[in-house]
Amino acid sequence: MTGLVTVLGSGAMTNTINGIIESDVMLVIGSNTTETHPIIGLRMLTAAKKGSKLLVADPRRIKLCDSATLWMQQRPGTDGALIHALCHVILREGLEDAAFIEAHTENFAAFKDSVAQCTPEWAEKISQVPASVIEEAARIFASAEKAGIYYTMGITQHTSGTDNVCALANLALITGNLGKPGAGLNPLRGQNNVQGASDMGCNPTYFPGYQRFDDEAAREKFSQIWGTPVSGRPGLMATEMPAAITEGKLAGLWIMGENPILSDPNSDHARKAFEQLEFLVVQDIFLTETAELADVVLPAASFAEKDGTFTNTERKVQRVRRAVPPRGEARDDLSIINMVSKRMLGSQGGYAGPVDPLYHTVAPLAADVFAEITTCWQAMAGMSYDRLEQGALTWPCPEADHPGTPILHTQGIVRGKGLLSALTWSGPEEIPDEEYPLILTTGRVLYQYHTGTMTRRSPVLEGAAPSAYVEMNPEDATALDLEDGNEVQASSRRGAIRLPVRITDRVRKGLVFIPFHYKEAAANLLTNDALDPQCKIAEAKVCAVKVEKIAAENAAISLN
Amino acid sequence: MPTVTITIDDKEIVAEKGLTILEVARRADIAIPTLCFVKDSLSTHPCEICVVEISNYADSGLKSTLSTDSLFRACVTLALDGMQITTNSELVTTHRQQRLADISATHFGDCKAPCNLTCPGQINVQGYIAHVARGEYEEALRLIMERNPVPFSVGRVCPRFCETRCRRILVDEPVSINHLKRFVADWCMRNEIDLKIPKDKPTGKRIAVIGGGPAGLTAAWFLTRKGHDVTIFEAAPKLGGALRYGFPDYKIPREIVDFEVNSILRMGMNIRLSQRWGRDFTLQDLKDMGYDATFIAIGATIDAPLDVPCNEKDHVYKATEFLRMINEGRELDLGKSAAVIGGNNIAMEVARSLVRCGVQQVTVIYPRARIEMPANQRNIREAENEGVQFLLMASPVGLCGTPDDNARLKLDLIRMKLGKPDKRGKRPVMPIPDSNNSLAIDTIVSSLGQTAVANGEIKGGELEASMKISPTGNIAANPRTSLTSVEGVFAGGDATSGTKTVIQAVVSARRAVPKIHAYVMNQEKEAPESRFNFHRGRTFDDVSLKNFDGIAVNLREKMPVRPPEVSTQDFDEVKLGFTEKMARREAERCLKCGCTAFDRCDLKRLDIEYAVNINKTGMGKEPTYPIDTDHRAITVDRNKCIFCGRCERSCPYDALEVRADSLDDKGRPLGLVIDFKDNCVSCGKCVDNCSTGALNKKSRIVPIQSEEVRDVHTTCPYCGTGCQIILKVKGHTVMEATADPAIGPNYGDLCVKGRFGHNFIQHPDRLTRPLIRRQKGMPLEPVKWDEALDFIAQSFSRIRGEKGPDALAGLSSARCTTEENYAFQKFFRSGIGTNNVDHCARY
Repeated sequence: MTGLVTVLGSGAMTNTINGIIESDVMLVIGSNTTETHPIIGLRMLTAAKKGSKLLVADPRRIKLCDSATLWMQQRPGTDGALIHALCHVILREGLEDAAFIEAHTENFAAFKDSVAQCTPEWAEKISQVPASVIEEAARIFASAEKAGIYYTMGITQHTSGTDNVCALANLALITGNLGKPGAGLNPLRGQNNVQGASDMGCNPTYFPGYQRFDDEAAREKFSQIWGTPVSGRPGLMATEMPAAITEGKLAGLWIMGENPILSDPNSDHARKAFEQLEFLVVQDIFLTETAELADVVLPAASFAEKDGTFTNTERKVQRVRRAVPPRGEARDDLSIINMVSKRMLGSQGGYAGPVDPLYHTVAPLAADVFAEITTCWQAMAGMSYDRLEQGALTWPCPEADHPGTPILHTQGIVRGKGLLSALTWSGPEEIPDEEYPLILTTGRVLYQYHTGTMTRRSPVLEGAAPSAYVEMNPEDATALDLEDGNEVQASSRRGAIRLPVRITDRVRKGLVFIPFHYKEAAANLLTNDALDPQCKIAEAKVCAVKVEKIAAENAAISLN
Repeated sequence: MPTVTITIDDKEIVAEKGLTILEVARRADIAIPTLCFVKDSLSTHPCEICVVEISNYADSGLKSTLSTDSLFRACVTLALDGMQITTNSELVTTHRQQRLADISATHFGDCKAPCNLTCPGQINVQGYIAHVARGEYEEALRLIMERNPVPFSVGRVCPRFCETRCRRILVDEPVSINHLKRFVADWCMRNEIDLKIPKDKPTGKRIAVIGGGPAGLTAAWFLTRKGHDVTIFEAAPKLGGALRYGFPDYKIPREIVDFEVNSILRMGMNIRLSQRWGRDFTLQDLKDMGYDATFIAIGATIDAPLDVPCNEKDHVYKATEFLRMINEGRELDLGKSAAVIGGNNIAMEVARSLVRCGVQQVTVIYPRARIEMPANQRNIREAENEGVQFLLMASPVGLCGTPDDNARLKLDLIRMKLGKPDKRGKRPVMPIPDSNNSLAIDTIVSSLGQTAVANGEIKGGELEASMKISPTGNIAANPRTSLTSVEGVFAGGDATSGTKTVIQAVVSARRAVPKIHAYVMNQEKEAPESRFNFHRGRTFDDVSLKNFDGIAVNLREKMPVRPPEVSTQDFDEVKLGFTEKMARREAERCLKCGCTAFDRCDLKRLDIEYAVNINKTGMGKEPTYPIDTDHRAITVDRNKCIFCGRCERSCPYDALEVRADSLDDKGRPLGLVIDFKDNCVSCGKCVDNCSTGALNKKSRIVPIQSEEVRDVHTTCPYCGTGCQIILKVKGHTVMEATADPAIGPNYGDLCVKGRFGHNFIQHPDRLTRPLIRRQKGMPLEPVKWDEALDFIAQSFSRIRGEKGPDALAGLSSARCTTEENYAFQKFFRSGIGTNNVDHCARY
């Protein structure tokens, strides 16, 4: 988000899911779409079947590779080099959209200089993708009328995450692939309401609607709306919080619906930090690993038990409707926030309201809050629950009769001019060495979701993917004298887990993959919490590990 | 755009050129039925249900491939200019009927399970057992309560009509259905579950219910749910009727009756206790008080007299009077020996109560054989186990004799024999001459049948006097409308039928409710449910044993009971109830006869719509294929497959293959194969497109029958795609998730999580109460909301006071709604005064 806001003026997916079918070329990089976004993946497969060219860049031979025109198997953490080289080839061969660059971008010269040395051969050395493949991919991409770029955490969860996103923006800008259907720069949001949470300023830098906290006018505006002065002091990012706790700066934490103990990189570190908190409130639908550490655990409602909206990856605001009352004494999160607010602040801020006997909702209700949101941010100003009853609306939707904006940048780049970034590629923070000779990358499987609190309670899903495993190339396995299914210990500088090995050529030599859903073998005990300097995202996607065979008798003992 | 003008059912339609008749009709909202249609694909073995008649077909040069020249399949016939089309002519209907009959003739399965069909309450038995098997007791009870608001009592005293038809009898023993019902009710009571059953908006109508027994309580409960303002008038000082004053404690303990009554009252109704109809108020009074309708449910509490000479003696009681005194806890002088005259269920309770009162010898006297006693055989056995003796083929003739020293009464008897069968085949009893006999006895209780009305007259006012009484001495009510002879006055339960079972009283009252509702709201009555039913055999003899191949013998759980020598010492409950483990094991025994596609079956729907009489035209008789459960998410029952091919053609991954070795002369498949290929991702779209129950979601274990099901349109909670899903909700239970093909971004597609990943909503592991840790190192303990909220507010305030606002932080969630995220950051920014707020899943 940080990257895209800077270079384009808006941090969201520029195009639509429906538009995928119209694209001539799809570049899917760092996204195992058929497993993480199955329906978007299905649209890609259908587009490919209808003749769209599919370029896949992924360290693993993911399912999309079977339908791909070209597969670039880069080493994890080398995406930036690969993308720079694609830009290099496009400029070298004169395949860029000069008119678009002229009309809609700035900083072209500096950018051009920055990729001048990024030859395919240079990139091949770093990424192990053959130069010829890079050249061909560049030609296919640049020659398309409509080329769309699709990416997820494989691009962003790196110390160079922001740079990677800016590099992809460069690629889209120089080929003029913004502001038209079937094209665009499309980060696929991993969770149902990442977009909504970001839009609403659940982020220390931004108030709702990406209005910066250090902008005095924005502060003034929100002080007015909320009837109380708001702080201009910078806040802590989630990834900075563990350190702040250890340093004694942070004493009380309220976690609503997250399980960072399992989902955060170097999770053991996070656990130790949370244990030092003076006061921890966790609000969730299950007693998660994080909730077990809490001083107060509040039972929350599931999505089926509340009203509200989720904003999907394509900026579409869609209704969530209550189907059943909350279980037991559980309450919807909004009512819980309202109840806590009322205890602390009295009726200031409009927190009041009757408790509904069946659903126990406490005002202000979701519809009232939504109405307040529309006064905070122009992009949603034209929306209302009444309108949403007729169907979803895509922001920006500034007026009550505005149809919404499925494709961004159609009237020129939102920022004014797209900022081409001059970047220097830098590798991952941690690279393999003698002690930890393998690269670990993490990801998801179709049948599980995040830390599994929901999916692992579905017999169908749990039955299909009941346990963790580590994918390893046959060559590496042979060197370690491993057979498929052998129990191994995978360890990094931060922790160790035990799990069976799955021998497959889906991963190349030197790379192992572990899905991160399983608490009994939590991949995030191993991953690196080094942060991207700009957006403070952690490098969950690449770290150095070693894998050791566990002797059969030890494995048996460990079971007892 | 080039267009054509055609006429469908006399309606002129201008349509885009190049469309099929089916598509043109759909766009014009004219329904043409079909069993095999899938958009953008064609069936290789069409169902022919979509046929239409084109009267001027020759003008377009068309030639039909069907048996009738003017009939054409709408799915493949292009709409051509000038076509005259009829979608519902006699020819069309006949063709559709014939095709449906052909297709139905090999369809094999049960629509509804036999237990369900046999239950007078029509309770979704298979459904609640399935919930029990999954540990979803709350859902199970809610499902029962949709049709029976007194599960605690019925779960203890029901004669279990359902179990007599349980197909498991053909394997080993029937499922202990009623014990499971009792288990879920008791479990929810023990765990203080609030079922949160909603009621409709107030209608402004007032309804009086006379009688607070099972029928009155049932009517009051369902009428209140419908939004009416209900008042129960009860003659006794407490509610419960037969549940409280008829069944002794060892059958239904008082505290259970209290709990049951209170849970009904929580729905919100008025009660007037110690108000006897005819003494304290009349029907006219109720009208004058503004009640829009009255429901009479006074039960049948008038005992038939013991019509023998000298019957007016001390120590001679009538059954209902006797049980009432026992249940009120009155101390009675009963002596050492007692006779119970009569063989009905009430007589059995009288006899068992006498045993518990310390009467040493209790004898039931009945003029016929034991097998002919009206009491349930199980009740007779239980009485016998407790030492009750039976003097059969004997009848009392008088009480005039002088008792001997060690007894208070002398009961003269005569032995009886059976006479010649009458016209109905029933053999009358007649005294055997000179077989007189006598019994020295201390107490006599007669239970010779109970009616609602004493001496053929209803006391009260003019309306009461005009009310018709049935020949059996009960209140006459039309069985279809529940209406008595008095305008606006309805009746049900034992008051109209004489003594029957509790569940029958419940049903009688429940059936009256929609009629009362229609009357007060001045609305049309709802159409009765169709009785259409595919079945695997109506009687046990008709059921092929091939159905049970591979099902191992697994005997039913035995209900733990207190042994008679102990249980007869007091009035405590005899049957102790299943433990949770026993209930789960017992529920696992259910053979799941009924179809879980009941609510979505297109074949059944069209058979009903086209009045196909499958009992005449035929249905499958025995299974051809075993049920295949190999797929992780889907059960395949090829016996129900009609070879429409919709599953195969709707699969977005081409992961399913349906083929047959050959087709018979009517186009039905022989040697049918339904194959999931390796690339199947278990998205379940095939199931949503199945025209019958051949494909079923394993997780959809509860058949949705005639109960109300709501479709809630919402957004999937998993990835950021934001697929639009439809949650099918019954009561407070999410039954399954589907998707609407017309709504994006997913247009009917969902992934395996979107269709199968919602079990967590009602998972037993859900947090249901706030927990706090009073001190570091102590365990979490459940508390009330107030305490948890106070603790939070105090702790946050303290930290902010001591260390400043930036010592507090919030982590929000990409899983929560936009509104919640907004409110959360607003709380931290404006309430706490810090920018320390973030969420975990950020780019």
